[in-house]
Amino acid sequence: MSVSREESILIVDDDELNRAILANIFRSAYHIIEAEDGQAGLSDIQAHADSLSAVLLDVVMPKVNGIQVLRQMHLLGLTEKIPVFLITADAGSATMREAYALGVMDVILKPVIPYMVQRRVNSVVELFRARRKLSAEVERQRDQLLIQAQQLAEMGMGMVESLSTAIEFRSDESGEHVRRIHDITCHLLHTTPLGEGLAEDQIKLIGLGAITHDVGKISIPDAILNKPGRLTPEEYELMKTHTIKGAELLSRIPQMREHCAYRYAYDIALHHHERWDGGGYPHHLVGDEIPIWTQIVSLADVYDALVSKRCYKDALAANTAVDMILNGQCGVFNPRLLECFRKTEPVLRRFYQPAKGV
Amino acid sequence: MDGTKRQLLAAAGIDVDDALDRFLGNDTLMIKFLLRFPQDGNFSRLRNAMAQSDAASAFEAAHTFKGVVGNLSMQELFSQVSAMVEDLRRGDLRTAAERMPALEKAYGQILEALAQLA
Repeated sequence: MSVSREESILIVDDDELNRAILANIFRSAYHIIEAEDGQAGLSDIQAHADSLSAVLLDVVMPKVNGIQVLRQMHLLGLTEKIPVFLITADAGSATMREAYALGVMDVILKPVIPYMVQRRVNSVVELFRARRKLSAEVERQRDQLLIQAQQLAEMGMGMVESLSTAIEFRSDESGEHVRRIHDITCHLLHTTPLGEGLAEDQIKLIGLGAITHDVGKISIPDAILNKPGRLTPEEYELMKTHTIKGAELLSRIPQMREHCAYRYAYDIALHHHERWDGGGYPHHLVGDEIPIWTQIVSLADVYDALVSKRCYKDALAANTAVDMILNGQCGVFNPRLLECFRKTEPVLRRFYQPAKGV
Repeated sequence: MDGTKRQLLAAAGIDVDDALDRFLGNDTLMIKFLLRFPQDGNFSRLRNAMAQSDAASAFEAAHTFKGVVGNLSMQELFSQVSAMVEDLRRGDLRTAAERMPALEKAYGQILEALAQLA
């Protein structure tokens, strides 16, 4: 039996006359496959499942009868894909009830009236064809929507990064600073016990929040931001307001406020200068009052500032920076955080270009 | 199909137009199956089962025979055998047996007409 890829009709009937009459009706429009009993019918159904437009099924047959074929098709989930027509001499019996329950599309009485069979079979085949087309279309659109959502998310992330980088540029720093804070924060969350209990999605959002930690610096005058020497106490007080200003800025952007990264971004901007012993600013939070992700960003910020060249200082060697942090010269950090940092720090050096001399 | 043949079949109780409709006007196909009808074993199986008062086998044979007869639009024979199928479905052998002579007669007429057709 040759197989056309599409539009075949399978006729399962033990009587040759019945098969000939049905085949004669559909021969001009479909490729016809004939089976002489239920068993042969089942193997044809499985072999041609993708190309069958309909199955015309006799009920009373030797070996495997029509109802048994139907049960098997139902079990394999094929009655949803291929319309089945029961061709029978006795309608209205209990078997018809079961047949409909098993997913038969229609029952056609023998002896058949060709015009009617043709109409009924064709309209159901058309319905299944339309349904297939529609579900393929729905699937395609869903895929497209997913891609668009992904693009939107990436664009949003890009905007946040651009904004943060633009602000960094004012203080004569390249965009690499925010990129590194992001990378160090995510690295610590991914590879140390500090990230325990955080899902991948959450870590991503925290990373995004880390990027905006210094947005408040947009409110600090250039003269202070880029002052080469030490800040006066007044200037330092003003500089410290970048935390509150940053959180305020984020809270005023509706798109940001509704973003799932907002709760992280807001807290990080506001509290990334707090210290474990309450010695930080602006709220002098103590210990675990500061969320762990904000503690990590604080440490990353300090480390990056130490090993990078700034307008007020030269870059320090990584070992020196680690010693200073562990000794508490940059404020007190969570001991557990320090321990994880100490172990992981050699890996962090990879985030820096060799040209930086670290 | 010429008028003589048509009359011959109609006289034997075959609704030729109805049969031709079933074969979508393909008279070659119809005649092929008409000529094959005498070899169909269901009638003799029915006859034997009735002779032995085997209601179950008689029902099976009558049921299948009804299908063939219906497809070929042998109206007289179809109405006889349909009634008989219902009798046998109820297990009423006596009423079924009473129908046998009429059934034999209708069947004989068809065979005769088909012999001439060949």
